[in-house]
Amino acid sequence: MRGTARVNDSSGKDSWFVDATPQPPGADAKPGTACDLLAYAAVRVQPEGVPALRHKPGPAVGERLSSSLLRHADDQTVVGLAAVLQAIASHHLAGTSFTDWGVLGAPRFLGRVTMAAAMHRFAAEGAWGLSPHLIPHRSLHALSGTVSQALKIHGPNFGVGGGSHGPAEAFLTAAALLGTRPLPGLWVVLTGWDPEPVPDREGRTATAAVCCAVALAVVPATVHGGGLRLLVSPGPGRAAGAPGTPATGPLTLEGLAAALEAAEPGPATWGLPHGGWLRLERARAGLPGPHFLRQRHGVIGQREARRAGPGSKA
Amino acid sequence: MNDQSAVWITGVGTATPLGNTYRAFADNLLAGRSGVRRAQGFDVSEHPSQIVGQIEPVPCPPGLDPDEFARLQPLEQLPLWCCGAALRDAGWWERRHEVRLGLVLGIGAEWLVTWETDVLRGGERLFRPEQDREELVNLVCRRLGLSGPAAALSAACASGNYALAQARRWLELGWVDVCLAGACDMAVSGMSLAGFGNLRALSRRNDDPERASRPFDRGRDGFVMGEGGAMFVLERADAARRRSARVYAEVAGCGSSSDAHNMVIPSPDPEPATAAMRQALADAGVPPGAVDYVNAHATGTPVGDVAEVRVLETVFGPALGAIPVSSTKSMTGHLLTAAAAVEAVACLIAMERGALPPTINLDDPDPECNLRHVPNQAQEKKVRVAVSNSFGFGGSNTCLVLKAV
Repeated sequence: MRGTARVNDSSGKDSWFVDATPQPPGADAKPGTACDLLAYAAVRVQPEGVPALRHKPGPAVGERLSSSLLRHADDQTVVGLAAVLQAIASHHLAGTSFTDWGVLGAPRFLGRVTMAAAMHRFAAEGAWGLSPHLIPHRSLHALSGTVSQALKIHGPNFGVGGGSHGPAEAFLTAAALLGTRPLPGLWVVLTGWDPEPVPDREGRTATAAVCCAVALAVVPATVHGGGLRLLVSPGPGRAAGAPGTPATGPLTLEGLAAALEAAEPGPATWGLPHGGWLRLERARAGLPGPHFLRQRHGVIGQREARRAGPGSKA
Repeated sequence: MNDQSAVWITGVGTATPLGNTYRAFADNLLAGRSGVRRAQGFDVSEHPSQIVGQIEPVPCPPGLDPDEFARLQPLEQLPLWCCGAALRDAGWWERRHEVRLGLVLGIGAEWLVTWETDVLRGGERLFRPEQDREELVNLVCRRLGLSGPAAALSAACASGNYALAQARRWLELGWVDVCLAGACDMAVSGMSLAGFGNLRALSRRNDDPERASRPFDRGRDGFVMGEGGAMFVLERADAARRRSARVYAEVAGCGSSSDAHNMVIPSPDPEPATAAMRQALADAGVPPGAVDYVNAHATGTPVGDVAEVRVLETVFGPALGAIPVSSTKSMTGHLLTAAAAVEAVACLIAMERGALPPTINLDDPDPECNLRHVPNQAQEKKVRVAVSNSFGFGGSNTCLVLKAV
């Protein structure tokens, strides 16, 4: 079944198409090409809502977050962390330890407005006027690094993408990473402004934009399934847009958020920039194996897994 | 991993403060030369740190239009040069359209660098988002005609190791036939030098640039920013063997972890970095005592170098005394996002030439850094297994194990 997700290709940029009608793999999918969603949330915040989130990004999980954690963070990082905490709360994972997990962060055009302000100040005041926090908190890895601190994640953390194709790059990376080592799960956090804010020369913006963040807790696919599943196929690798092939929309942050916010999420299919596709679908009935969930003091039980299971939408 | 599914490096392209070719880099590295100078191209008179490792402009790769290439930003030229050189080195340049050729590019501050460069050239990209049409990774794919999947990633200084690990995985999954992987960074600019300077992370030995980068030395006072990049061609051993490819090394082991401590300050707890090293060695099937050379992350900061020594002591135990350790950042400076990739090249050079690159400016070793150093001069040694550590902002720790084939 082809996907019918609402796709918001607000960028108006190059469009590309999948090479062929998606034929998602079944249970015999190659390792690393299918993963289950243990939790997810989409958060949309207007600029005036960010300061409150910076103070309290979401429901508490485990230890209280340090008050300095988000002091210098970019707005996208703040909203991204809010989405993670929302996903944890709404899927009842507050008692779960994410110590052995990993986290990928895919912000979009991180730091544009801040950079405009920094350039203005640098021009006016010289070297000493530049904040030492600009680069650490506006680099591609800033989002993942901050989430790793917040959740005490000691697995891999890195940034992916950085532009409008970031979601596709993030899922290609996540699907491959999940199969590489005993990695129980991976947070994938996607953020961006819609529309992209337009700063003036002094770093002010009057753009009526909304910051959107999607946080997904993905675990290796199991035969039990039952919840939402992501299938990733990087495609045959040929140049995209072959004549006569059916088109689906490109994967965007906003399209993914819309699909997850639907009353009954999935199925939906999006094309990837270099061929291939990402598909969101509901897997067969059942639950993710409880071995993916490990609490601070042991293994989470089946009852908790059921509570945390699929279908409880953020 | 069995012999058939092992992943080999069959091509290298690089640009560093010590030269824009593998050969030039190797010659200067083993000669113990410094690439650190007073910064050129922008005013540093009021910067706390005024010294950097900069690259010479890279030439247009053969086959690309020189006029178009000249209009690109340096950050766009650099990966094109490195990828083109790596593909040529591997023998894939002319046949690159015949295979699924993927790209994993480490790049940490693509947009900050792009916007600053563009504004300084009189551009409007920062203020007109619609002009930001194409990410660097897609520009490289388009210009070089690469058809496989592509991704940009960043774990700050650890990016190159993550890129190699990811490319290795794509090859294992059969998503690509050949994969370019590595990292590039052109972050040496007025703003970034000011930013890191104000972070108090940089050496202020402005009157003595070539002696400013001093990892493990008692007189170290911070790192020296550098720029450059390195890209590798990776392919499966069976495929490389079938075409009788020249092989640099096997990407044998990759390990990674996070401090979950602070965005810029390394964790005082050595456990996360230790875990990354152990994971990489286990992945490679290499016992600690079999390691012939360690290229340390060691940037020359007072705290960071000692922290890494504690990690090495924990991982190697008594065997550490017999394992040579050096920091090539003493010569190149710290290439930030590109550091891990360029230091992987340094390991390949050690393997190929049978010589260990030195830590220069190591005149007075810090007693807290009690290692088997390679001080100031290269040393002859056969290297079968090389280990490269890279730890980055954001709390990322990575370790790469390369094995001779």
